[in-house]
Amino acid sequence: MNASTTFTASVTEPTPDIAVLDDPLEQQRFTRWSTGSDGRRVAESTLRLSGMYCAACAGIIEQALAGVDGVSAATVSASGQRAAVSWDPQRTRPSQLVTAVRRAGYDAAPDAAAPARELRRAEGRKALWRLFVAAFCMMQVMMLATPSYVAGPGELEPDLAQLLNWSSWVLSLPVLLFSAAPFFTGMWHSLRSRRIGMDVPVAIGIAVTFIASTGATFDPGGIFGHEVYFDSMTMFVSFLLAARYLELHARQRAAQALESALDSMPQQATRLLDDGRTEQVSVLRLTPGERVRVALGQAFPADGRLLDGRTRVDEALLTGESKPVPKLPGDSLVAGSVNLGAPVTMQVQRVGADTRHEAIVALMREAMSQRPSMARVADRLAGPFLWLVLGLAGAAAAVWSVIDPSRALWVAVSVLIVTCPCALALAVPAALVAAAGGLARRGVLVQRLDALESMAQIDRLFIDKTGTLTTQSLRLEQQRVLRANADLPTQEAALAVAASLAAWSRHPLSAALNAAGAAPAPWGWTQVEEVPGHGLDGRDAQGMAWRLGARDWACAISRLAPPTDESPEAAAQTWLCAENGGCACFGFEEALREGADEAMCALREQGYQLSLLSGDSPDRAQRLARQLGLHKAVGGATPQGKLDEVAAAQQRGERVAMVGDGVNDAPVLARADVSMAMGQGALVARAQADAVLVGNRPMDIVQVLRVSRRTMRIVRQNLVWALLYNVACVPLALLGLLPPWAAGLGMATSSVVVILNALRAAR
Amino acid sequence: MEILYLLIPLSTALVLLILGIFAWALHRGQFDDLDREGERILQNDAVSVDADQTRVLQRTEQSPTV
Repeated sequence: MNASTTFTASVTEPTPDIAVLDDPLEQQRFTRWSTGSDGRRVAESTLRLSGMYCAACAGIIEQALAGVDGVSAATVSASGQRAAVSWDPQRTRPSQLVTAVRRAGYDAAPDAAAPARELRRAEGRKALWRLFVAAFCMMQVMMLATPSYVAGPGELEPDLAQLLNWSSWVLSLPVLLFSAAPFFTGMWHSLRSRRIGMDVPVAIGIAVTFIASTGATFDPGGIFGHEVYFDSMTMFVSFLLAARYLELHARQRAAQALESALDSMPQQATRLLDDGRTEQVSVLRLTPGERVRVALGQAFPADGRLLDGRTRVDEALLTGESKPVPKLPGDSLVAGSVNLGAPVTMQVQRVGADTRHEAIVALMREAMSQRPSMARVADRLAGPFLWLVLGLAGAAAAVWSVIDPSRALWVAVSVLIVTCPCALALAVPAALVAAAGGLARRGVLVQRLDALESMAQIDRLFIDKTGTLTTQSLRLEQQRVLRANADLPTQEAALAVAASLAAWSRHPLSAALNAAGAAPAPWGWTQVEEVPGHGLDGRDAQGMAWRLGARDWACAISRLAPPTDESPEAAAQTWLCAENGGCACFGFEEALREGADEAMCALREQGYQLSLLSGDSPDRAQRLARQLGLHKAVGGATPQGKLDEVAAAQQRGERVAMVGDGVNDAPVLARADVSMAMGQGALVARAQADAVLVGNRPMDIVQVLRVSRRTMRIVRQNLVWALLYNVACVPLALLGLLPPWAAGLGMATSSVVVILNALRAAR
Repeated sequence: MEILYLLIPLSTALVLLILGIFAWALHRGQFDDLDREGERILQNDAVSVDADQTRVLQRTEQSPTV
């Protein structure tokens, strides 16, 4: 890189969180190996950088990386915020690279999504380049074709006209051979699988036009006549490539937005060795039977069994339940759930692909392969349409060869060009891409454009409860002081006391109390202890004991009987009791997402059937359904149960949509006709859903359905226009009244009309 | 109008040349990170290109474009 660095980083011990990067098993996620020019192994790693706020930072990071002994090259991309480093495995390690970046004032993480992003980039580049070649040549060819259009008879010398035709031919060659290549390969593939796809009529149209125009160029007196249509052909190819490029771009943008979640520091686990020592290892290295220590707040690295210690576990990623589940020694633990109670030791039983998480992903993939697919209207029409067009052209040629042989071929070409399915080919993709772009601006990422068609025909919506209609957290709804005394005079005082004690805990109820309590803490707490399954125990400034937690346990501190409480059943309750008898009760409800009731109301008015699917208890599900006015509520549903509900609805002939967010919603999301995932949801749900509601707003569901209905209306308008245009022009062409130049012009105009109409879908 | 007999083939050749040059620049990676190109002139320790461009070739081959 540069030979004049001002400092050379010395080899230091890496901090524990990045030491795991040196594990070869982890390295293969972000490192490529190759043989350098001198025969030694060279590693190329891609790192994701953070903290860059301008392009000059790229130079600083490059310097820092180049200063590490063993680095042969370091390139930083300012726009992509990635670093590509070539390093010698004998002299340095990835942890040294990250340390060097951190010392420069930035941060780096391994870039596991690099291969996929490279592929996308290469794909996008190629598509754009093809489009550029086609458009550039199209402009030149149109320029060269203009004299033949505007010249009156006898104004254009034949030699000059010939020269113009030759030049047009030369400039159409790159378009045909390079830019239009995807259409020909597509036609080849669909013919090989014996299906007629959209590429077949397009490729035939391009080929026939080019061949006929070539014949007219080099043999003006021959059967092809002397009219050339290179301008129509290049324009046609450019339009189609533009539509396809927009589609590709929209798809890639959505994929990129979701992939950012894949880049994270590799997980580590603390393995307990037989002699009592612990070591930090990568999660990928765990084997069944080993013992692992899991700290407070850490996620469990594998499926296993709790060996010793008692704790509470947040299994929300699996069940969607916001209440932590108490675990005792011998209970099973699920990989990915979060340890909330106390540090514990776990025995590993299943790792990697065998964990329940992966099993759900596999179930979902299988459901996806059986997914009812909705063929595109245009694709279904293309087959018979193509045969009809070819038949008509052949018949026209046959009839005209009897009437006036010199015009026979051009009549056939006119028929082919004028019915050229570019309006059909553009009608659907242009509208879908415009709609997806408009939705993306409003915070909804459409990952599968076909889904917009399905969305317009939905009858029933299945909606998950936790995380979709409600936020993941609880909200303080009611507070009552049941026994007031000097320390607990008012509700506000009780809340302040409770919130200050709750600050010592990470329990979701504590988080909710903290969110609600705004008053400053009345005193400092000492000897705070969190008892798993019960609550918090602490002493105040005067040394009096307080307890915040489960009712019986908390009230036991005052040795008085717990007061009777006639308040309605809340989703969760916590009690604050003092040794001297003061007692207060706080009730929590799951917070509804903002806009949830308006969204449900709007959906109901629009005639959709709404069902609530939840893994939570049946009566909580029923209560929420009644509150929001949903038609049906199914509580206590397992992933298989949810799948059965959806399948039953599909059997009844309904088209169903599913809105969910948790990992155990993923199989249902795959099975439903349309799936929408919350932006905050589990990665596997987001990655497979048709649409991701990035803003987490239930009103976006209403938006998406409205846009999809409007888009399908626009698509139908486009198809009707294409049909009317064909019905009007084909008889004219058959009768020989439509010269090919007019056919080309008509085709171009029809394409433009279709695209302009499609752009309306973006609004 | 005889000049057109020269100009038309010339413009065709020019179009093909432009496409070729563009393709060469794209293939060499000149459009990969446009933000940094403008700043290269301000850096006093930037890579100096040697006569047969082997160092630049190595650089674009070794590090995957990001």
